[in-house]
Amino acid sequence: MLSGCDRSHDSATQLIVTGSTTILPIAEQAGEGFVRASPDTSVLVSGLGSSAGIEAVMTGTSEIGSSSRDLKAEEEGLGLVDTPIAFDGIAVIVNPTNPVSDLTVEQLRAVFSGQITNWRQLGGEDRGIDLVNRDEASGTREAFKKAVMSDDARFDSSAVVLPGTGQVRDVVSRSKGAIGYISVGFVEPRFASRRVKALSVNGVVPTEETVTTQEYPIARTLHFFTKGEPTGLAARYIAYVLSDEVQQGVVVDAGFVPVSERNGQ
Amino acid sequence: MTSEQPQALVKGELTLVSRETQVKEWLLAALFFSCAFVAVLGVALIFAFVGWKAWPILSDVGLSEFLLGRVWAPSDGSYGILALIQGSFVVTLGALALGTPLAVGTAVFLSEIASPGMRSVVRPAVELLAGIPSVVYGFFGVVLLRPIIGELTGSVGFGPLTAWIVLAIMIVPTIAALSEDALNSIPMGIREASYAMGATQWQTIYKVVVPAAKIGIIDAIILGMGRAIGETMAVLMLVGNAPQFFAGVGEPISTLTSQIVMDMGYSTGTHRTALFGMAAILFVISMSLVLAVRLLSKLRD
Repeated sequence: MLSGCDRSHDSATQLIVTGSTTILPIAEQAGEGFVRASPDTSVLVSGLGSSAGIEAVMTGTSEIGSSSRDLKAEEEGLGLVDTPIAFDGIAVIVNPTNPVSDLTVEQLRAVFSGQITNWRQLGGEDRGIDLVNRDEASGTREAFKKAVMSDDARFDSSAVVLPGTGQVRDVVSRSKGAIGYISVGFVEPRFASRRVKALSVNGVVPTEETVTTQEYPIARTLHFFTKGEPTGLAARYIAYVLSDEVQQGVVVDAGFVPVSERNGQ
Repeated sequence: MTSEQPQALVKGELTLVSRETQVKEWLLAALFFSCAFVAVLGVALIFAFVGWKAWPILSDVGLSEFLLGRVWAPSDGSYGILALIQGSFVVTLGALALGTPLAVGTAVFLSEIASPGMRSVVRPAVELLAGIPSVVYGFFGVVLLRPIIGELTGSVGFGPLTAWIVLAIMIVPTIAALSEDALNSIPMGIREASYAMGATQWQTIYKVVVPAAKIGIIDAIILGMGRAIGETMAVLMLVGNAPQFFAGVGEPISTLTSQIVMDMGYSTGTHRTALFGMAAILFVISMSLVLAVRLLSKLRD
């Protein structure tokens, strides 16, 4: 299947973007807009995972590798240039009736690995903690795992696993002892009738601002990696993704924080 | 044998009619044969495909490690599905335990007790249950039932109990319709004989009619079991999808079907092979159920 990528393509008119499934909607919709503006080009976008994207841009089968994680130690110093395209914060949510409103990352780790099982241990009511986790395909789970969990503290396998952000939000909004995590952009969506409470983590409330300034600890950067400084079509596409049109449109619609807001500081 | 003789004669005479009729007859036979053949071909292709895709699991993971492994954590390389098999059976058997009395009771009411007017209301209502899409059942369970069960069990409300109640309602139409057929096939004379001996209606039902229709009712229950074990969407929405062993009626578990759907979208390599392995297991289970029904019908005849 990968042999198809070996075919040389004309990089003046065709751009290949491979990598993160989280970034897929941004890269795809931006690609459609880009091709509409310059019809003689084409942008091929695929979501094979962040690692596959980094691998592809290193071996030269893609011009751009998209990744929702940072480079690993062994990937540093190989000439990859990082262009952040958006930020995303992950809010830890509980039922609005829950008196607990702040937890540290260490406490979260103990909760989600099943070491702490009662809210009383966290200064709340005497009530069992009901963990609500996401499925393994979820990028949100992956990012939360990287920011909070460790090798000795894996996710508790007795947690309820739900396949979507909306379902996590709904269950937490209805269950007094529940705790879950969702993208910051979904804590207060436009049409939700029931409320959830986002906890502050290490004393920092998750807002677009604290995510932007990186004060809030459970956040991630969404990257485009290129081999060397982007040139030609890749440079034009990246410039388009960083333009207000995409940043305030596609990026905001997808629930992420535009990168332009941090650069502006 | 002798009774078939005249029929063969008639068939022989058919060949004497015009060639046009003969061709038409032949084409129709071919048409109906191909209709039947598509179904057989479908089963064979699915069986071959699932088997072919699942086969590498034997070398990648090993049969005993796959079937008896206690940990399902594909990201860590653990592919044991014992907890999922247990989950499937916990959900199915619980649903049967709740649904069977309900369904058989409905069938007895429709066949033995209800007046024709009553029957014309109740039967369509039960049949309508079969027409409700399973995602609607799941939604009903999540929105209405889950919070109540959560209150009762002191948990989030995802788990076997919620799935049992919803699945029990889902399998009622299957079991009720087939049980009613079985009860209706019992000759009137048997009931009349029972009443003639001075038995009451209740005595007639539980001592005579239901025992006489026993095999048909067991048939119905097995088919209901097939429906329950293969149910995916409603189960996925209700069991909580935590791949752990049964820990209580309010604690989340996972089943073969729901786990396949959860993981299908992103799995690769051995993980995907393991999903096909789970599909193969489901295939074997439902084939055994169909086989059991066949054997039972033979017994009845």
